[in-house]
Amino acid sequence: MTVLTTQDLVIDIPGRADGRPLSLRVAPGQRWGVLGPNGVGKTTLLHTLAGLRAPRAGRVLLDDTPLETLKRKRVAQRLALVFQDRQDGFPATVLETALIGRHPFLAPWHREGAEDLLLAREALAALAVDHLADRLVTTLSGGERQRVAIATALAQTPSVWLADEPTNHLDLHHQVTVMKLLRERAGRGAAVVMGLHDLNLAARWCDHLLLLYPDGQHCFGPAEAMLEPTALARLYGQPLTMARVGGAPVFVPADPAPGASDDRP
Amino acid sequence: MPGVSRRPLALALLALAGALAVALSLAVGSVPIRGAELWAVLTGGGDPLHRELLLSLRLPRALAAFATGGLLGLAGALMQVLLRNPLADPYVLGLSGGAAVGALGAMLLGGAAVWVPGAAFVGALLSTVLVFGLAQGVGGWTPTRLLLTGVVVAAGWGAVVTFLLTLSPAERLPGMLYWLMGDLSYARSPWPAWLLLVPAALLVLPLGRGLNVLARGPLQAASLGVAVRPLEITVYVLASALTAMAVSTAGSVGFVGLVVPHMLRLALGNDQRLILPASVLAGGALLTLADTLARTLLAPQQLPVGVITALLGVPTFLLLLYRSR
Amino acid sequence: MIRPTALLALSLALLATAASARVCVDDDADRRVCLEQPARRIVALSPGATELLYDAGAGERLVGAVSFSDFPPEAKALPRVGSYKRLDLEAILALQPDLVVAWVSGNPATQVERLETLGLTVYRGEPRRFAGVADTLERLAVLAGTEQAGAAAAARFRDGIAELRQRFADADPVTVFYEVWEEPLMTVNGEHLISEAIRTCGGVNVFADLPGLAPRIGTEAVIAADPEAIVAGGMGENNPAWLTPWKRFQALTAVQRDNLFFVPPSTLQRPTPQMLDGTRLLCDHLERARARR
Repeated sequence: MTVLTTQDLVIDIPGRADGRPLSLRVAPGQRWGVLGPNGVGKTTLLHTLAGLRAPRAGRVLLDDTPLETLKRKRVAQRLALVFQDRQDGFPATVLETALIGRHPFLAPWHREGAEDLLLAREALAALAVDHLADRLVTTLSGGERQRVAIATALAQTPSVWLADEPTNHLDLHHQVTVMKLLRERAGRGAAVVMGLHDLNLAARWCDHLLLLYPDGQHCFGPAEAMLEPTALARLYGQPLTMARVGGAPVFVPADPAPGASDDRP
Repeated sequence: MPGVSRRPLALALLALAGALAVALSLAVGSVPIRGAELWAVLTGGGDPLHRELLLSLRLPRALAAFATGGLLGLAGALMQVLLRNPLADPYVLGLSGGAAVGALGAMLLGGAAVWVPGAAFVGALLSTVLVFGLAQGVGGWTPTRLLLTGVVVAAGWGAVVTFLLTLSPAERLPGMLYWLMGDLSYARSPWPAWLLLVPAALLVLPLGRGLNVLARGPLQAASLGVAVRPLEITVYVLASALTAMAVSTAGSVGFVGLVVPHMLRLALGNDQRLILPASVLAGGALLTLADTLARTLLAPQQLPVGVITALLGVPTFLLLLYRSR
Repeated sequence: MIRPTALLALSLALLATAASARVCVDDDADRRVCLEQPARRIVALSPGATELLYDAGAGERLVGAVSFSDFPPEAKALPRVGSYKRLDLEAILALQPDLVVAWVSGNPATQVERLETLGLTVYRGEPRRFAGVADTLERLAVLAGTEQAGAAAAARFRDGIAELRQRFADADPVTVFYEVWEEPLMTVNGEHLISEAIRTCGGVNVFADLPGLAPRIGTEAVIAADPEAIVAGGMGENNPAWLTPWKRFQALTAVQRDNLFFVPPSTLQRPTPQMLDGTRLLCDHLERARARR
């Protein structure tokens, strides 16, 4: 069980003012959604939380240890990041890709053992891509590759999940599969933070929300408290209408007010 | 996983091919030596002339060819992962240009032939430092920036090489041109190359899985616990040292470093733990075979080894590429 | 008004004086090279051509030479017109030569043709035989108007070679490997002038039958040929270092009998009268080899 904490964190986006420092605590079992308009820094925040980017100020702690004092390998044993987009240098098979999730747990001279292979195969099965195990990743569709990427993170068995748009390229069925998987992980004590552009996914699957405003402000709290139409309308610069479907809130864009279509707060 | 089961078999086959190439290279030459005589020499007896031929000419040359091929194969495989660019070869960062300027400069100044490998080695290392320093720049280096700097520096070295050739007296030109084409007859002793190749090959084995992860991009690798910068710098320094040694042993032998890793990837998949040692063996076997053909095909005339490596390698590579998915 | 007959007479008279001074020779490219009067300003486009011109008595008329033209020593003071492979056409034109002596296989053909289209007279030389060296001396002397000096030099060379030929006509053959260059190992075939020097001394070039004037060979081919004598030039006029590596092949006849001989490269590797000295030295070496049988 790991707690992810930020202390007065200011992420570093070149050419942008500091904004309000963020002090956040993501506890085991929580599912956080990070919301905000395009370009507000959702991805940068997730990369900073993973220790891949240095913050401009403040720090990130994994339990009580500052991230920058930990070896990358120790971090990777507890924290996984699902990237929004991925590079393919040289083609590898689906199974090889899932197996690299075991990399942080192996000494340089060790090969993957039966247990690692089992974890990787289970992860592929959980994302319903186990039948593709011998295919080259480069030959897969966008949605299949996204599921392989999540399977890789699953094989990494992290206690902190950082997922940048985990439902990218996924059809509705697989969106639900992935969200259920993350909820199930949280149910077993993982802390989950996901960057989302889809408000309704956040409303449906997250129990905490962090709203990032373009002016550097932010607010966060339990999802029910944050899902306030006027606050969200200000977030996106887009009037919203809320309805409830089966008890869950659903947001749809309202007709734009004349002359206010592109106004941003 | 694919590769796991094929791994020992593939390496054993490549090692066998390498041993056969060395054996062939010992067996053929301008002076015919029959099998029984060959055996007599190898077991410590035999005719003194045959001893001299085998132990002073053919064996050192075969070993130098194998080591040079191995160095180039390994350096090429490492450079391709480091730069995440399948078109990278050991010379892409201007190393051969620096080595050529060193070697031709030594030849032009009339230095004894003994100085040429040393001058080439110094030139190659100078080029490494130069490219790395320039790519570092203000903003830190990235593979693209390193590649671009290397290509431009190589172009600069090319101009200096042409300049040196222009300045050189007529009788020195053939030697210089042969050096530029790459040639094993310059190899004085195979031992420096082996002394670098063996530890380097052992060192990269534990790096293999980290390099597999690095091939997915630096961010992904970092998120999987790879210390990206230290690994990249290790690979850069290692690949540069391997190339510098290869170039100073035999001149800039082309083709091996670019194509051998690709051939192996097409045949064996993309696991660096398999590709890196396989590149050593396949590069060594290819260059030994090519050098044997180069010195026997039109004997007593000697062909440049680069011609043969390309003649052997191009069809093999194209066939593999054609048959690949 | 001048009468046409007078004009005709005047023209004929002028023609006659010109014809008396007009000189013509055939060059090694089989072209006729003519000058209205003997050359006063000559540019030589190879170190060998410079040397031949000095030997032909035309040294004083040389006004330009290419780099590495270092023999005789006074040639070093000549203005340079580029290297033999990259000529400085402007420098050549600026010297206003009335004769340019080019080297068929060494100078870029297009640059030499360019010189001709610019109005210069070009002699193309490429002596491949001892006879050619003597002929070239005479022809250059004709073009420079120094026939006497040229004929004397040519005769000295012819006589010297003829004397050597006669002396060694019935000598026992000695198989010879001549090392032109060490890395890569290069020799000469039977077409090469050096091979003629070897023949003159009663030697047999073991690689005479290879294609190419200066073929590249392997060390093992020399061992397989097992020549009675190994003759090498070197990286300088007094540097027999190329012979040392052969000593480790104790099975070689040339090594066993210590028939490893050095001949200064400039006396054998340039097609000039200096070859007489080189050939004499080579003949002495081969005589020594015969004595060691």
